[in-house]
Amino acid sequence: MTESFRVAQKIGLLFRPEDDIPRDIKDWAIGQLNTESKSIGIRSISNSQKIEPWPEEYLPNLSERAEMLRQLRLDEDLIQKDKTLSKIEMDRLLWISEKKNNIRFLDELRFSHRNVYAEDQVKQRFSLFWSNHFTVGISGTTRGLIGHFMDAAILANLNGSFANMLYKVTTHPAMLTYLDNIYSVGENSERAVQCRKNNKCKVGLNDNLGRELLELHTVSPAADYTESDIRAAAQVLAGWGTIVDKPQLEKFGLFNHWDAFVVNRAEPGTKVILGKVIYAGKDGLKNLTDHLASHENTKLYLARKLCQHFVSDDVQNADVEYIVKVWGQSNGDLHKIHQAVIERAIASKAPKFQWPATWLFQVLRISDSTYFLGWDDMHKDLNDKRMSAKKVFQELGQPFWAKRQPNGYSSSKSYWISGEFLERRLRFSEAIYNTAHPQFTPKEMMDRIGVNSTTRNLVEGLTGRKRKFIALMCSPELMGV
Amino acid sequence: MTKVEMTRREFLKLTGASLFLSAVPVSGFTKDLPQGNISVILLQGGMDGLTAVPPIGDPALASLRQEIGLSNPIKINPFFGLHPKLQYFSKLMAKGEASVVHATSFPYTKRSHFEGQNYMQGGGSGPFSTTTGWLGRALDLALLPGRAMSLELPLILRGSLDVDNFYPARVSGSSKPEKWLIEQITMAHQAEEAKAFAAVGQKVADQEKSNIPRDPVSLAQYAGEQMSKKGGPVASVIRVNQFDTHALQGADDGNHGDRLELLDEVIKAYRKGLGSAWNNSIILTLTEFGRTASVNGTSGTDHGYGSVGLLAGGLINKSRIISEWPGLGSADLFEDRDLYASIDYRSVCAACIERALGLDHDLITQKVFLTSKLKRTYDYIFS
Repeated sequence: MTESFRVAQKIGLLFRPEDDIPRDIKDWAIGQLNTESKSIGIRSISNSQKIEPWPEEYLPNLSERAEMLRQLRLDEDLIQKDKTLSKIEMDRLLWISEKKNNIRFLDELRFSHRNVYAEDQVKQRFSLFWSNHFTVGISGTTRGLIGHFMDAAILANLNGSFANMLYKVTTHPAMLTYLDNIYSVGENSERAVQCRKNNKCKVGLNDNLGRELLELHTVSPAADYTESDIRAAAQVLAGWGTIVDKPQLEKFGLFNHWDAFVVNRAEPGTKVILGKVIYAGKDGLKNLTDHLASHENTKLYLARKLCQHFVSDDVQNADVEYIVKVWGQSNGDLHKIHQAVIERAIASKAPKFQWPATWLFQVLRISDSTYFLGWDDMHKDLNDKRMSAKKVFQELGQPFWAKRQPNGYSSSKSYWISGEFLERRLRFSEAIYNTAHPQFTPKEMMDRIGVNSTTRNLVEGLTGRKRKFIALMCSPELMGV
Repeated sequence: MTKVEMTRREFLKLTGASLFLSAVPVSGFTKDLPQGNISVILLQGGMDGLTAVPPIGDPALASLRQEIGLSNPIKINPFFGLHPKLQYFSKLMAKGEASVVHATSFPYTKRSHFEGQNYMQGGGSGPFSTTTGWLGRALDLALLPGRAMSLELPLILRGSLDVDNFYPARVSGSSKPEKWLIEQITMAHQAEEAKAFAAVGQKVADQEKSNIPRDPVSLAQYAGEQMSKKGGPVASVIRVNQFDTHALQGADDGNHGDRLELLDEVIKAYRKGLGSAWNNSIILTLTEFGRTASVNGTSGTDHGYGSVGLLAGGLINKSRIISEWPGLGSADLFEDRDLYASIDYRSVCAACIERALGLDHDLITQKVFLTSKLKRTYDYIFS
């Protein structure tokens, strides 16, 4: 590959036909971090050449999402309780409500569009890295919140401090719901005391988010924290979050789902986490996330993870140390950290294996294919073999809207190598060739990318444009090995 | 709930379960036995051993488990019951074809899913200590093939050249890849990618079925069918997930019970698929940890330590509960919160390998579990 394509493969999504190939790739990559991020895509596959902004009506804010989720729950309750309905009729009514109120499918499509059509490809890659680091899987209402979480908690905070992103993520209703914190109540809180007195309700602590905040999001087990640290973190978190599809905001006199701290559920008293004293009250969480964000183990753990995702499969200590140093000097400024990652990714000549999802986006961009439906196509019965975005990511083994574990998808190459995973690469290449109308021939792409001789020999040794297309996309070079 | 007041000592006398002798391994002991097969069901998220196999005779159980205690467990003996959703498993126990190991775990006490899952599959000196898995290493030593019923090749099976995975593709607009094309692409690749592409070629050459449904039950049945064939895999791995019930765990019904019901169906499907090969089979469950002894504040349980292992298959000739019961009293709990694990589950896995694959215990200890000493539990499970 030419240097521009090599770098864009590692830290971006490769160049679309309308992109100018930058002459100074480092300048371009770092400049990309400041690109404006917009949701763009296509309205319909029948008019796929027109890339335009997503309609406002499909970009609901948090309170609109809460309202949609509430409506969805009401409809589901109503429909499922109606004994007069047949199964078919029930499914039909549920589907009507889903179309109107379940934003998840449009969010997942919008996510796909952004990655295929976006002008901010480097930001999309970093955004996906952090969305995966702070995994939110589907659990209850998160189906309607993940899209917002990715936009507002991750992408919007890519250029601020890690501490800021951590706090935004931790207090976002998607995270608070996914890791059960919305049910957690301090054992000595007013609410718990009252419950015990009346003997009418039972409430208490749930340590799920407290544990993952330490283990997965910040310091990692290398910090040697104890169960008492985890418990104390859970106590700091108690009282944060509300059940989004129930009228809890009103009940607790709150105004915003993203800033929902319910005082009478909070644990009183000071807590100690990894030696840091945290006082009771709403500010306690910010003090805790700030402390964790600046912890040495957090820097080390995340620098390594960033290197493994962007720089090389065989992580080099020198790269990790460089990122750690920048992290320290900049007080965890993500803009500077990302810049350092880009520098090391360029400097390292080692290949970087690409995730199935990233590879798919890259294949679609360089071949100029129209694979994902347009937003208007979503609810139509198209006589088209194309899969929904949901099915595509499921099949690739990387569904971001799914019931999944909070550790996210591995950045380790070996996880993604198996017969079944590689058969998917062959089949998706074929499906794209057959259904998504690539505008470039394999030869045109090879010339534009400047492929190496292994790739060229492989492709030129085959007959038939479809075979050449599949082989090019499944070549070591395009897979990043 | 049946309440049987019994001291720990009385119970142990009754079941004979405390007879944990330091067994003397007999070199080459199992070599002459006919080769069997082994299947591992990975229970992801941490199965609650006190829900799956409640120690109904332990006086502390009821108070620990007020909201999530079972109203109607299947009674195995005066001390232990089975969750009512483990119907099929209970029938196997009645027939002498299933056993339970209780209060057991890999020796890992830090309660992280991801360290625990890595360790239970890797089986080295601790979490993230190896890039191969214990079953893969065992198959490598025995020169026998294995298969995972999942999109990825899980860590547990890595370490042998003769392992593959099966999870049929559903990509609209694509067809079965051409054998010749795969060969060309394989040749352009190196190392593990080349091997994996070659595996795709092999599957195409074998004209393997691709219309198998991908739910765990259908996959278990198919795995059993494949294992029953001559030259088929002798090991298989399948996953049942979502055991991590921090909130609203449920009791007889509900979240955890649903997962146990699915597990029960998976075992049943294996039985069906294996056919007469069932007589040579051992199936065992594996989970990263148990859950807290008491209920948390949100009607669920948090990450714990000791759990339970379920064993099924024709290689078991007498059903039993193998346990050195640590008790649930406040002084008995591990770190004041969890069921203690008095049996190292690695030694249970080792016994299953010894029985199914015919490897020597010392060899398993050193080359499979990469340690110098592991108790031999073979006689407690298979005698």
